[in-house]
Amino acid sequence: MTARYSTLFCAITGTQLLLACLLLIHAETETAAHQPLIRRKAELARTLELSDLCLFTEASYTRHLALADLRTPFQEYPMAMEHFPSGSLTSPPPHLTETHAPHP
Amino acid sequence: MIKVTNISKLYNAGRPNEFIAVRDVTLTVSLGEVTVLKGPSGSGKTTLLGILGCMVRPSSGRISLGDREITSLPERFLTQIRRETFGFIFQQFNLIKGLTALENVMIPAYPTGERYAPLRRRALEILELFNMSHKAAAKVEWLSGGEAQRVAIARALINNPTIIIADEPTAHLDTKLSHEFMVIVRQLREGGKTILIASHDPIVYDSELMTSRIELRDGRVINDGSRS
Amino acid sequence: MPHTLEKQRHILDFTLASLLRRKGKNGALFTVYTLIVFILASVMFFTYALKEEASLVLKGAPEIIVQRTLQGRYAPIPVEYGVKIRGIRGVMGVRPRVWGYYYDPVFLANYTIMAPEGVNLPPGSIALGSGISRMRRAYQGDTISFTGADGKARNFTIARILPEESQLLSADLILMAEGEYREFSGLPPGLASDLTLKVKNPKELATVAEKIVKILPDSRPIIRNEILRTYDALFSWRGGLLIIIMSAALLAFVIFAWDKASGLSAEEKKEIGILKAVGWESSDILFMKFWEGLVISLTSFLAGTILAYFHVFLTSASLFAPVLKGWSVLYPQFQLTPFINPGQIATLFFLTVVPYTVTTIIPSWRAATIDPDSVLRS
Repeated sequence: MTARYSTLFCAITGTQLLLACLLLIHAETETAAHQPLIRRKAELARTLELSDLCLFTEASYTRHLALADLRTPFQEYPMAMEHFPSGSLTSPPPHLTETHAPHP
Repeated sequence: MIKVTNISKLYNAGRPNEFIAVRDVTLTVSLGEVTVLKGPSGSGKTTLLGILGCMVRPSSGRISLGDREITSLPERFLTQIRRETFGFIFQQFNLIKGLTALENVMIPAYPTGERYAPLRRRALEILELFNMSHKAAAKVEWLSGGEAQRVAIARALINNPTIIIADEPTAHLDTKLSHEFMVIVRQLREGGKTILIASHDPIVYDSELMTSRIELRDGRVINDGSRS
Repeated sequence: MPHTLEKQRHILDFTLASLLRRKGKNGALFTVYTLIVFILASVMFFTYALKEEASLVLKGAPEIIVQRTLQGRYAPIPVEYGVKIRGIRGVMGVRPRVWGYYYDPVFLANYTIMAPEGVNLPPGSIALGSGISRMRRAYQGDTISFTGADGKARNFTIARILPEESQLLSADLILMAEGEYREFSGLPPGLASDLTLKVKNPKELATVAEKIVKILPDSRPIIRNEILRTYDALFSWRGGLLIIIMSAALLAFVIFAWDKASGLSAEEKKEIGILKAVGWESSDILFMKFWEGLVISLTSFLAGTILAYFHVFLTSASLFAPVLKGWSVLYPQFQLTPFINPGQIATLFFLTVVPYTVTTIIPSWRAATIDPDSVLRS
């Protein structure tokens, strides 16, 4: 007797769900295993007094996103894309326009 | 026993193409009988068959099945009655293309929730009855006309109905196959089924198997229940 | 109903057999659907994990950074500003930070040179970020040459390479002793790049920042929360590239929905009529359509999500790397920590599986209630 279609479907979906659960467990264990690494990175940020992630190195305002000023990047308007695609993936830091300092 | 009283059926009511398919028909079909509805095309045979088989709601009149009045039953119950009491054999066979013969036979039993294994066994047994078990896994569009009809008959029998309804069953069959169909009708009758056939084929309505012949013209019965 | 489950399995059997009749069409549908979910889930996994990582790692960032604005751009800040800031109540310590950029004309890459406090480097030697090391094939003990502000090349010995594991922070860094960096970059004594502050009570950060601006109107304090918020806003869905991806996905879904909602073919309607004639109820027809939608959308959703997980966390988002890299020559190679947000997965589920299933069911609503006798009269 050949297998019913519904049995095959349940088997496929069941396998997918099982795989998804295994991946969730993988995510949990990996995240736990990465904790010391993350602590070491935070420690590096503390000792070197780093403020930004090294994601996009092509412009100062994408390399040090948090330290961007109003003049260098985003010159025409805050969403202007000078460096594509990184300029389109980053947005101006929220504090850029409502900073503690008065704007010049 | 199915009894219809003063049944009429109006299609496209109120529109210019309105027409009356069945007018004021009263008749009784008793259990165990083989009844043929005969008449030219457009005489209302198919519509009357649909009404008797709980598939078509009449515009007026009453239907009772056994001693139960079913005229105003809601759709859900009517479907259940149709499923359990009637087996339909359509003129065009109306098999579902792309599926196998076996799957087609099993389809009417799906809503009953019967267990798969016994259902499949039963379907194979019925196909075997018509020498069709070797075609069980074949897709229905690859079957010949005679084979397709036997699958359609097997499908009508799957829920073990008391009444078999066939609409022009020999319309798409040659003479040899039509005679073979009548052999199957004899088999069914000997199995205790009540049979209702609409046909204008002499092979069917002149057959000595018929216990009752009803002639229709323009939606009216012109010759009720002449026995022979 | 004792046989409800068996009944649903029968309907599912029928639905699957029907779907398998059009292997090409439904296979293509499954593939496109999986691809859309894969792209959306990849973006989702990647951005969430990166933001989560940023928020944890940048907890080590300075509490307040004070920049100086001159002529509208940030400029070196006089170290004596620190003395004034030190006088504000709650400020525990002020340290001048000395750092800057270096453009490497040979490799067309930008580096960040820093002179952090307390880094032990022998004279004439530097610590090199692993990204630069990889790109320039320069390793511990090698000599590397950079051109200073005066136009003269200077040789440095690589004392050590910064750890690979922290590339996300340090791939493009060069660490140097402060004196050497000032000489190299021409930053005069008495000036720093910016100031970092230590504050006694984290709740006072905003107050301190306001006081700094009051005392030194040309200064611009940035508090740590603002840095974290900056990275929280990274990859916002409104961003140029992401909105293209999102709208492409949305468009594909509209096409799906259109195909479904444009109604049933005559063939499908006839089949529904046959099913009703042989004893299927309207609800059975709707269940069939429900399964039809669910079979495609659920398997595609799961397949797409699983593939996205493999893509982002086990192959380090290899398909995204060229996009993220953009024009930058130097790009960190990092493995993301698989932070998963169940809420996001649920959102993706409700944005993909549910609308598809619904658009499959709705057009069949009317067909499900047609009179079975249409089959008789055809």
